[in-house]
Amino acid sequence: MVPLLVAACGRGPAKSPPSSDTAGTTALPAAVRYDQHIFAGGKAPLGAAERNPFAGDARSAAEGKQLFGSMNCDGCHGGGEGWVAPSLSDGRWRYGGSDAAVYQSIFYGRPKGMPAYGGLLSPQIIWKLVTHIQSLPPPRALPTQRW
Amino acid sequence: MRRAAGIRAVLALLAGAGALEAQRARDDGQWTMPGKDYAATRYSALAQLTPANVAGLKPVWNFSTGVLRGHEGQPLVVNNTLYVVTPYPNVLYAFDLAKPDYPLKWKYRPMVDANALGIACCDAINRGAFYADGKIVYNLLDGHTVAVEAASGRELWNVQVGDLSDGETMPMAPLVVRNRVIVGPSGGEFGIHGWTRALDLATGRISWTAYNEGPDTDVLAQPATFRPFYDKGADLGLTTWPKDVWKNAGAPVWGWLSYDPGLDLLYYGVGNPGPYNPEQRPGDNKWTNSVLARRPDDGSLIWAYQFTPHDNWDYDSNAEMILADLSVKGRPRKVLVHFDKNGFAYTIDRSSGEVLVAEPFVSLNWAKRIDLKSGRPVLDSSKFTGASKGNVTYICPSLEGGKSPASPAAFSPRTGWFYTATVNLCMDYHAGEAARIRGTPFIGASTPYVAGPGGHMGTFMAWDAAAGRKIWEIKEKYPVWSGVVATGGDLVFYGTLDGWLKAVSAKTGQLLWKFKLGSGIVGAPITYRGADGKQYIAVYAGIGGDWALLSGDVRSDDPTDVRDPADFIKDLGRYTSGGGMVWIFAL
Repeated sequence: MVPLLVAACGRGPAKSPPSSDTAGTTALPAAVRYDQHIFAGGKAPLGAAERNPFAGDARSAAEGKQLFGSMNCDGCHGGGEGWVAPSLSDGRWRYGGSDAAVYQSIFYGRPKGMPAYGGLLSPQIIWKLVTHIQSLPPPRALPTQRW
Repeated sequence: MRRAAGIRAVLALLAGAGALEAQRARDDGQWTMPGKDYAATRYSALAQLTPANVAGLKPVWNFSTGVLRGHEGQPLVVNNTLYVVTPYPNVLYAFDLAKPDYPLKWKYRPMVDANALGIACCDAINRGAFYADGKIVYNLLDGHTVAVEAASGRELWNVQVGDLSDGETMPMAPLVVRNRVIVGPSGGEFGIHGWTRALDLATGRISWTAYNEGPDTDVLAQPATFRPFYDKGADLGLTTWPKDVWKNAGAPVWGWLSYDPGLDLLYYGVGNPGPYNPEQRPGDNKWTNSVLARRPDDGSLIWAYQFTPHDNWDYDSNAEMILADLSVKGRPRKVLVHFDKNGFAYTIDRSSGEVLVAEPFVSLNWAKRIDLKSGRPVLDSSKFTGASKGNVTYICPSLEGGKSPASPAAFSPRTGWFYTATVNLCMDYHAGEAARIRGTPFIGASTPYVAGPGGHMGTFMAWDAAAGRKIWEIKEKYPVWSGVVATGGDLVFYGTLDGWLKAVSAKTGQLLWKFKLGSGIVGAPITYRGADGKQYIAVYAGIGGDWALLSGDVRSDDPTDVRDPADFIKDLGRYTSGGGMVWIFAL
């Protein structure tokens, strides 16, 4: 039932440095920063390089936006800009911003209170949420020096 | 029925009249419970510090708690020991005030589930501990209550009371009456079924559970003893809701509790109904946004009063109920005084629940007045909200409240006045349908803020609760979110979001002293007599709570979470940033 586990290529982002040019991030602006997993031996585990089948699809992103409201994501993430949970539109990612990392955050949850939706939502629905989240325009640069 | 209640009240008045005064006369210079005394006055009779000498107040000690989140609440001082509870992960420190440099006696580090960080609506705060029978008792964010031996730091019991997976967290400070530890959950934004529980002080075992909504059997309202002043009928917690909606409709208990030994009544406020879209819950929605008076021994409900029926604006009533004996309209009355989020200050007969005075203490426009005959607000229908109403603009006060329940007020028996922080914000309210999914938020509204009339976002004021009028007021640039301490030297201390601790004259409001702390103040200052006989002031610095959500960039500890400053308070980050610190001041 979980295609990312059976379809994984098992190679993953083995290039160096690991923080750039990794799977699913190459199309994003240079200002975007990710916390990436470090892979022992340079080998990604199964699933870590899984791609979003709906990447860039506007209709899926719109469906994902609806789900973001109806699944109560916005109650914590405040429409994506952050509330009690982190901002999803600052181009920075606590648990990684690759397709697979965002998918896994939703499917399995994360230990600081992000609930696991994998028991409630199908993989296809979760990918639509990922598509919406990735459609939130990350700023090219964050003018934190002016705050 | 009413006459019998009247006679009981008079007898209780005679029996209990001296109790509050006697308690104050015996002021031992300690601070053993959150509100200083059972009446929650936050008044200390210590009088070494005066308007004449307070300008010489200096910091004498500080200590970083090692935690950066919102430091609400207050430390305790018992037997020359300073007890500090931090926000998550709820470390308890005990400092020896009898030794030079106040060295750490011990530190207690409980295991707390990190998932609580995402279930707590409004930062991972803790509102403090209670000292009783040689124990420090407090709540952990993940729904546990613990008792720790005050002398040694040894854990005596650790009991799960709230259910994190159902949206319950526990940042409130318990109140202990005899052998009952009274606690309640947060989670008005997570579809909880709100309750109050009493735990046995010796073992932590749950003695009783009283729900805030539902049938009388769950609410612990018995026809023979439950006598609300205004409401009639059975099962009000059931009949004022659509079928089954009450089961996941909020009614949290996240504020402060008080207790009248003379009447043997426990008082506390109940929070908002959920979701924020009121069209999903037609009816009064009792007992959300209410004050409840219960017997501490068995939890039975004696009276209740709902401040904001059928809440359209998230006006929780979790603010403290301060007990005082006042002359109202020429009659001595045993009252409780409550500054509600809805912007009205209420003076209520605490034996019967009759509202004696209810006047606005901030700018408000959702209601015209409170009708004292029915106890109900006279509403402005243009401020009704709901999914069918779209975006309803400029409602005052905002859902932060005319005053936040997070910032408890004080009462000085010397002036007879109450002292409170206020918030001057208004909001738009755009409600939508919300679906309850266990373990996720249950809100359904977007509510951006603007500064209220005048442009300043907060004040600090003195209030005459017998007459329902403001005595003096200090305008502050930002919302004022700190607690208050009033002293026998006629001083009042409060703090600001940009980090100033201030001392003002209780009589005139004149600013007499201020000192800039390292982070904004959302805690409540206290005063105590040290081992050397001197009077000290202690307070937490550490911006957070709602301001962890609202102020945008006042954090620097998480590189993966960067937010623009909020539109309505763009420059707060110029003056403060996160940081948790205990400060002590003396002459």
